[in-house]
Amino acid sequence: MSILAGKNTKVLVQGMTGTQASFHTKRSLDYGTNIVAGVTPGKGGITHLGLPVFDSVKEAVKETGATASMIFVPAKAVKSAIAEAAEAELELAVCISDNVPIRDMLEIRNILKNGKTRLIGPNTPGLITPGEARLGIFPENIHTPGKIGIVSRSSTLTYEAVLETRRAGLGQSTVIGLGDDMVIGMNFADVLAEFMNDDDTKAIVMIGQLGGNFEELGADWYRSSSVKKPVIGFVAGNSQAFSSTVGYAGDIITRGKITAEDKKKALADAGMTVVEQINRVHDELQKLKL
Amino acid sequence: MNIHEYQAKQILSRNGIKIPKGKIAYTANEARQAAKAVTAKGPWMLKAQIQSGARAVGHFLEKRAGSRGGIRMVENLKDLWTEADAMLGSTLVTKQTGPQGKQVSRLYVEAYTRVGFTFYAGMAIDRVQASVTLLLANTKDDDINTIAESDPGRILRLPLDLVTGPTHAQTGKAAEFLKLQPRSYDSFYLFLRGMFKTFIANDALMIEINPAGVMKNGDIVALDAKITLDDKALYRHPENLRLKDDYETGARELKAAKYGFTYHEFDGSIGCIVNGEGLAMAMSDLIKQRGSNVACWLNVKGGVDRDKIAAGIKIIVTNPRVEGIVINILGGFVRCDLIADGIIDAAAEVGMNIPLVVRFEGTNRDEAENILKRAGLPLTLARNMEDAADEILKAVQEGM
Repeated sequence: MSILAGKNTKVLVQGMTGTQASFHTKRSLDYGTNIVAGVTPGKGGITHLGLPVFDSVKEAVKETGATASMIFVPAKAVKSAIAEAAEAELELAVCISDNVPIRDMLEIRNILKNGKTRLIGPNTPGLITPGEARLGIFPENIHTPGKIGIVSRSSTLTYEAVLETRRAGLGQSTVIGLGDDMVIGMNFADVLAEFMNDDDTKAIVMIGQLGGNFEELGADWYRSSSVKKPVIGFVAGNSQAFSSTVGYAGDIITRGKITAEDKKKALADAGMTVVEQINRVHDELQKLKL
Repeated sequence: MNIHEYQAKQILSRNGIKIPKGKIAYTANEARQAAKAVTAKGPWMLKAQIQSGARAVGHFLEKRAGSRGGIRMVENLKDLWTEADAMLGSTLVTKQTGPQGKQVSRLYVEAYTRVGFTFYAGMAIDRVQASVTLLLANTKDDDINTIAESDPGRILRLPLDLVTGPTHAQTGKAAEFLKLQPRSYDSFYLFLRGMFKTFIANDALMIEINPAGVMKNGDIVALDAKITLDDKALYRHPENLRLKDDYETGARELKAAKYGFTYHEFDGSIGCIVNGEGLAMAMSDLIKQRGSNVACWLNVKGGVDRDKIAAGIKIIVTNPRVEGIVINILGGFVRCDLIADGIIDAAAEVGMNIPLVVRFEGTNRDEAENILKRAGLPLTLARNMEDAADEILKAVQEGM
């Protein structure tokens, strides 16, 4: 079992014929991911990596029954790619692409508001359910199937968290990078909710970092959740407030300047176990005796 | 990307927002000409164009610049020339510049505009709601910073619809909140529409008009303006790309940007090269926990290779604060052996004479570590992040 995507999830790849996309699609196929189609407007009808390529997501869905998408299109095309995924009513879209303009993301969030498609990213390593499905660019060799759910905003710290579960002799149920852009799709609260409902996830590692207040909202959700699996939290960015902003508006929106210390406190107050160093995560995992 | 006040005002003005008449000047003589062109009779405002808030209450490092701040009111042309000459070329320090300050290379000369009531108007992205949100506060008694910290309830927040922008109903609510007179309503509506139009049409991340003022005839005027633009959307606005002030960026940061890296400087002594922002933060936290601090970090991001890592090392060694370098590269697709080759390339080129600690995780790690061992460089290999932090601090200590 897993959250959001597993071995039975039929996946299509938007922008599959690109260089990066081809490389990662091939790796995901080798990993066992159930990829059924590619979508590249104008290239419909060809076969790539042994898979049929369609002009549109709708066609691909009609022909293959795909329910999830991995998006590798250039930044300029992300808005229309996600809109297309939403129009085709896919359940999940994982957007790996980087450098997406924020205004495009605002429009995307508007589009997704009333639809059924859930978005992970952009600017994320994606999602991996070890041994089952890889929707993204995660290094598959460090992952093993297991009971720890991992959710993180930073991509490299996600790898660090995975290494920590390995140090504790444990594997992962599903690993999700939320993406570190200003405006993203799914959030800590959304992913925590999924993990709480997943029977195979016994504990969760949550990696936050300075900027915005997604961690606080995740903590609020956890406090009010009726199911409470153990959550081990880490927040990066303690050592300095580095900011290239010249105004006050950002701080006003979050109702005050938020430090990593504030975030850790919010996590701890909600009942999560907070570690000061990411390399202490394995100690806390071992204490859980899972 | 941040832009200067006068540039922000020009953009706002093009979108229907009233601004005082002003001109930019690079020399004292130009300032005098600018003043004459703006208005026949003073007073004038001389405004240092550096990208920072709180310029008025800042101070100059040089004695010749006098004791007044970065925003000065002058009554006559003779004083204007003297003050402009004193400010230009001097270094202005504010709460936001850090103690080293920023050199003032241009002044904005404005006609002094008399206003009654003043207020703060901001628009920014609400990350959680995924909306552009309008922020307003009456700044008659306190500045916005004080209000934001002590009494955030005094700030009105209105999430704006991305398609319609500020509506008449919202404008009415906002006008009532600020207790504006009815004769200001029309001007206020155009003011909010102008801000929103500027925001959307330029892919802004933040606009602040602080203060905005109400003139005698009820019109709203922008007395100061800040705009932050979305770097990721600059390709849609080549005209805005020209507004970039390279001086504000700094030489090493500029060079890093050329390779697609991000670079930040701090006041410690350890230089960090990492491939991820979260990793950079976590690394500096570890160094801080051990009683030291980072001098800078360079995020080489994804897709780092031999040439890129070498370029990164070459950038970081030019920072005089750096007494030791820690390289922490993590990920599945990074070929560590190639990174090792890059480190050797750079070390040979720059004649590496400061301690270096390397921590790898990824493909061909063992091979990479062997390459580095064979090269005989003065470096230490670390197993994990904590280890890397311990080793670099130990090495720097011993080197002293």
